[in-house]
Amino acid sequence: MMKRNIAVFAFLLAALLASAQEVTLTVDAPESAAAGERFRIIYTVNSTDGQFTPPKFDASFSVQGPQQSTSRNVQWVNGDVKTISSTTLIYYVVAGTPGNYTIPSAQFETKKVTVSSQEKQIVITAGGSSQGVAGRQQGQSVNAGDSPSSGTDVSMKILLNDREVYAGEPVTGTLKLYTRINLSGIQELKYPDFKGFLKEDIETPPLRSLETEMIDGVQYGTGVIQRFVLYPQISGDLRIDPAEMTVLVQERAGARDPFFDDPFFDSFFSSVSTVPRKIATQPVTVKVKALPEPRPADFHGAVGSFSLESAISGNDAKLNDALTLTVTLRGSGNLNLAGEPAISFPQGIEKYDPKVTVKSTGTASGSKVFEYLLIPRNTGTFDIPPVSYSVFDPKQQKYVTLRAEGYTVNVTGTPGEDQGAAPLYTPGEDVKYIGQDIRFIRNGNAELSSVEVPLVSRMHYWLWFALALILAAVVLLLRREQIRRNADIAGLRNRKAARNARSRLAKANALLKGGKKEEVNAEVARALWGYLGDKLRIPQSEITREKCYAALRERKTGEEFITELDRILTATEYSQYAPVSEGESPAALCSRAAALIGKLDDTLD
Amino acid sequence: MRRILLIHIILLAGIARLAGQTPEERYSRAGELYGSGDYSGAAAIYRQLWEEGYRSGDLLYNTGNAFFKSGDNASAILFYERAKLLAPADEDIDYNLQIARSRITDRFETVPQLFFVRWFDFLSLLASTNAWAVAAFLMFAASLLLALVFLTKARARGRLLSFWLSLASLILAILMVSLAVRNNSLVNHNRRAVITCSIVTGRSAPGETGNELFVLHSGTTVTVEQELGEYREVRLPDGNKGWIGSSCMEKI
Repeated sequence: MMKRNIAVFAFLLAALLASAQEVTLTVDAPESAAAGERFRIIYTVNSTDGQFTPPKFDASFSVQGPQQSTSRNVQWVNGDVKTISSTTLIYYVVAGTPGNYTIPSAQFETKKVTVSSQEKQIVITAGGSSQGVAGRQQGQSVNAGDSPSSGTDVSMKILLNDREVYAGEPVTGTLKLYTRINLSGIQELKYPDFKGFLKEDIETPPLRSLETEMIDGVQYGTGVIQRFVLYPQISGDLRIDPAEMTVLVQERAGARDPFFDDPFFDSFFSSVSTVPRKIATQPVTVKVKALPEPRPADFHGAVGSFSLESAISGNDAKLNDALTLTVTLRGSGNLNLAGEPAISFPQGIEKYDPKVTVKSTGTASGSKVFEYLLIPRNTGTFDIPPVSYSVFDPKQQKYVTLRAEGYTVNVTGTPGEDQGAAPLYTPGEDVKYIGQDIRFIRNGNAELSSVEVPLVSRMHYWLWFALALILAAVVLLLRREQIRRNADIAGLRNRKAARNARSRLAKANALLKGGKKEEVNAEVARALWGYLGDKLRIPQSEITREKCYAALRERKTGEEFITELDRILTATEYSQYAPVSEGESPAALCSRAAALIGKLDDTLD
Repeated sequence: MRRILLIHIILLAGIARLAGQTPEERYSRAGELYGSGDYSGAAAIYRQLWEEGYRSGDLLYNTGNAFFKSGDNASAILFYERAKLLAPADEDIDYNLQIARSRITDRFETVPQLFFVRWFDFLSLLASTNAWAVAAFLMFAASLLLALVFLTKARARGRLLSFWLSLASLILAILMVSLAVRNNSLVNHNRRAVITCSIVTGRSAPGETGNELFVLHSGTTVTVEQELGEYREVRLPDGNKGWIGSSCMEKI
């Protein structure tokens, strides 16, 4: 209200120069505005008595107001008193949909006359941008993203240090305010959700004063609202949605008088009001490239340029006394996302999950320390292998494998001497299976064999069986035939046995007449042996008395025949070797043999 | 057909020999590569040997190992299965096969075979087809000889013994013939196949028109039931059936 009073005083002065005027209704509206942006339509009429009829705004406009203010100036000019009054009506409008609109004329009706304002064209542009306004800036900067958008007095930008990065590579961003008008403050800073990024704010001093910056020949007051680091989590074209903020704009609310349109009077005398205005950044797209495949096995997500070092608290350790292995990853990059290195500690050393500390020394740089607590549970010498850790270096565009020193730890002490320590391994513990893998190849003699045609699928294999069967059958038949023939020969000899024996005896009888006693006996013995061999089927070469008796007994021949046979045979042999005629006469022997053969032939077949 | 294949094999072997390397040298060369960590190099040599027609349980076992280490689980399973046919009693093959199977996507509740089928198959794989075939013939010949003795020897104490021996060897000969036939069907006419495509859809009919029934991943062992052009009807370990393109599988 104070300011308004000053304004009144100013108009009193101005009135000294003014003359009586006709009633006029003027309209002041921007030529373009962004959809969703609040803009003002100001109607000014140099009269206070009358009826103002507002224009019919488009249905898609949401209108607030009017905010009405009147001023009355009393002027004394050469003793005359003149009264100049004016009425200002301010509408706050937010247009919802882009397009070209016409604001129809408004009417002001006094007792004497009715005046109309001009029609106004207004272009509502889409989403936060307000281009296409008065070509104030010839040769607009190519790097449009880094300069405030033209045509607006107040704007805000997200500035990124890089628009094309690898996944995980940190991007430093700055949210910066550009203004050409006076601001009294900022409100309601609303960040987008940075989809696909992990955002980390950098401590930024609160914005107190603006710095002056010349951009394309236009002077802007600029200030950094917030700095932050973005870590892209996924690959692809990631869009950062606009950030929104409400700024408090200082605006003159008083009547505009052409004679007093002066910054000096603006700042001191015009009626100034604070108007909230919504501003938004333009969306920014960041191209995120995927990390190249294949990734090394010891890659744990670290992207940037790093160095790796390790340290151990001591090379000699007591049993069950803790050791500390420190692995430090130092450099710039996504330290927060760098995973724990995989170290295969030797069996017998108990490992606990590492304590991880990140020390930041600047924007996305610093060191990450992994502290492993190790407790030796067995004595001996243990090798802690060198740590191998791969990182992706976006500058070299390749994976770099970092190595940190390995250590040898000598553990001494006697088990059980340290009472109260963690439970010791008791003897006879189970074998620990710590991994699984296939068994190793065989490198001995290959014993390679070529593919063989399976016999069972060939015809000739089965013909072998048939052949064998036929062969067996033939052999069987031949053998049968031979047996049969052999049997026939024996039967013939059997049947002819008696006849042969008789003819021999007849021969013996003939020799008897010649008086050759030895020859007669020999002939009788031959007749008997021949008969027995043929009849009993014993070859002449194998024949003995015992065999014959056994064969005869087997055929149930009477014992008297065997005794008789034995006597005759003994007699023939006896007479052969003792030529002296003591025993029976050859003739009697001959007849006895003939009688025996006759009887035997009856009993034997 | 077989003759062409044989000529092919001989030609390939000839080329290899011209290069100055016997199969045994290449075999040990592959072993060295495996030992130094070049698993895919070793796998290539082993596989080449297999394709040239060389067979041994150890060769196939090593091939499976090399494929497993180079990350090709499907080929590893394929070669372990082949190795099992040549060396059924090798416990290392079973162990590695079980590890390779644990790394594949598809899981099935397999119904175990009847114990006597399992035993019979195991017995039939203990010797090669031709070994069984020759043994069966010899046993048959022995049976015939004993039968001849029984039929011709007129009367002797060995007559009854020869009868029973002849009968026993005849039964053994029949058993060996069936083992040879079984071995042949397992080794040379195996209907089982391993899926080699990383993912393949089983349909209700051959071609691309059938309804989709199931999705298989590489390394799964299936049984081929029918063939029609480029498509095979396969039976899954759980008994379901569907049609799959033949390019997505390799026969054991």
